[in-house]
Amino acid sequence: MPLDRLVDPAERHDIARPEPPDAAALALGARERVLRLAHDKPLHLGAALSMIDVLAALHVAVLRPAPPSPDGPDRDRLVLSKGHGAYGLYAVLAELGVLQGDIGALPGHPCDGIPGVEAATGALGHGLSLACGMALGARMSGGDGRVAVVTGDGELNEGSNWEAAQFAAHHGLDNLLVVVDRNGLQQEGRTEEIAALEPLGDKWRAFGWHVGEADGHDAAAVSAAAHRLLERPGPGVLIARTVKGRGVSFLEDDPAWHMGQLDDDQLRAALAELGSGAPRDTGGAA
Amino acid sequence: MTAAPASASAAAPVPAPASMRASCAPVIGEAVENDPRVVTLGADGQALFTSVLRRRPDRYVEVGIAEANLVGVAAGLARSGRLPVVGAMAPFLVRRAYEQIRLDICLPGLPVVLLGVGGGLGYGHLGPTHHAPDDIALMSALPNMRIYCPSDAQDAADVLRGVLPPAGPCYIRLAARPDPVVPAPHGAADTAAPVPRDPDGVRLLRTGADALVVATGRCVAEALTAAEALADDGVQTAVAAVSCLRPFPATELRALAAGRPLVVSVCEALETGALAQQTEAALTDRPGRLVRLEVDHRYPPVASHEELLRFYGVDSAGIRSAVLHHHSNKGS
Repeated sequence: MPLDRLVDPAERHDIARPEPPDAAALALGARERVLRLAHDKPLHLGAALSMIDVLAALHVAVLRPAPPSPDGPDRDRLVLSKGHGAYGLYAVLAELGVLQGDIGALPGHPCDGIPGVEAATGALGHGLSLACGMALGARMSGGDGRVAVVTGDGELNEGSNWEAAQFAAHHGLDNLLVVVDRNGLQQEGRTEEIAALEPLGDKWRAFGWHVGEADGHDAAAVSAAAHRLLERPGPGVLIARTVKGRGVSFLEDDPAWHMGQLDDDQLRAALAELGSGAPRDTGGAA
Repeated sequence: MTAAPASASAAAPVPAPASMRASCAPVIGEAVENDPRVVTLGADGQALFTSVLRRRPDRYVEVGIAEANLVGVAAGLARSGRLPVVGAMAPFLVRRAYEQIRLDICLPGLPVVLLGVGGGLGYGHLGPTHHAPDDIALMSALPNMRIYCPSDAQDAADVLRGVLPPAGPCYIRLAARPDPVVPAPHGAADTAAPVPRDPDGVRLLRTGADALVVATGRCVAEALTAAEALADDGVQTAVAAVSCLRPFPATELRALAAGRPLVVSVCEALETGALAQQTEAALTDRPGRLVRLEVDHRYPPVASHEELLRFYGVDSAGIRSAVLHHHSNKGS
């Protein structure tokens, strides 16, 4: 994968985007990819699994493909502000056919040059400002491009998010949607024990945002709430209630799996829970 | 390289100090009118954008006092095909938004021009929270970043005209207050200065065989004042102005330094990445003495810009004293 340059817009036109699968099937395939990758090397496993249903819902049912040019300036965009969930994003993009080849070779945080990655992220608290600029740019162009940002909840400790929250409300960016992956955990423990976020919805409301909530593992609920927010004037934030490590019981809601690697037995057990069968090679399109 | 007056010209009326913000505002306004992609952003400081606000207010984005978001929004706009020109107070722009400048603009090489008002010690009495002697050092640690430090209002406008519309990451240090006007080069060309005016090159403002003072930004005017006094001291001192610190015009500077026994660099900045270090690298294997005058880490007194230049020894008196000392101690 070329990482030493910006995406060449010409290069993506030939990638035929298959008919979108249903979000649940897409998420299942993406989870399997992430688990197999986590067998090969340590990665931010809990954070990736936590947001996969949200990403699937956004890509399948909220963000619109932008033919004829998928790189047109008015396209809908997704910014993964919680860049440490990178392999979750790559897995979803691979399921969509946007990414091909060995996604395990891609970097641990999204970088420029990767199809489907709108911005290099990973230093927390950058994505929302970037997305504000993109949403404003779409409006200046007279287009209706939507910009969705997925943030972590622990990430909201970063003050730059709240600078951007003021900005988006002041400028009435109604094509901007934030989804907070509200899994309640950050690296060292529970968000409410490290730097309490609640009442989180009230905070966003006080900043002038429309606030929605949904089960972040119910793609239909995420999609419906996202559409409701995008229809309202001004920016919207969807607080998606999620479980870190979702899909594999021994990974769930445990800060120890913020980052980790699966051994052979763990991979076998994890895939069995997904109903995906025995371990196999992770290379190539699964 | 541009060049070249005879030394000690006849006394001419001294023009009043001029503001870089005032000279740059119409240049930004023209850029906005000439290219629909150019958009401007400010952080509760609009003096640079008066022309834009008058002519195309829809192309100015007020971000408020929030520099990290200012830079992030600019990067998002650049990713959407816009060409952002960002202006803010230098100390807060370069320090508070440093991570955004590095990750969101410089690493992907996005076309964003950053205008840092009051870089160096320009805010004088406002104190060290408002000083940015580190702006050049910080910007020089960033990939893909061009760095300019213009010498006066006209130079700032010329530099800005040269980088608009934005083609890549660029930082320009602008003055906080009106600064002395640097006389334009005139007269017979120096033998080593054959090229016309170029904001990216070296301008030879005064000739002199005994020493060469290389200066940038506000220190160019100080160097010219020092050279006048040194002529009375019997030391013929050439003065060269460098506005583009990155990419540094090393070859031109080497040509100018050739044959001169003493080179003094003077810059209102901490040493890393600034003029002195670049000059030293450019002249690394050259015979002759090189003296660096630059800002250090001493806590500043409550003082005006000019007094602070003196405190750190980068004013005309410091330059004169350095040239006299090293000129009279040849070889020691």
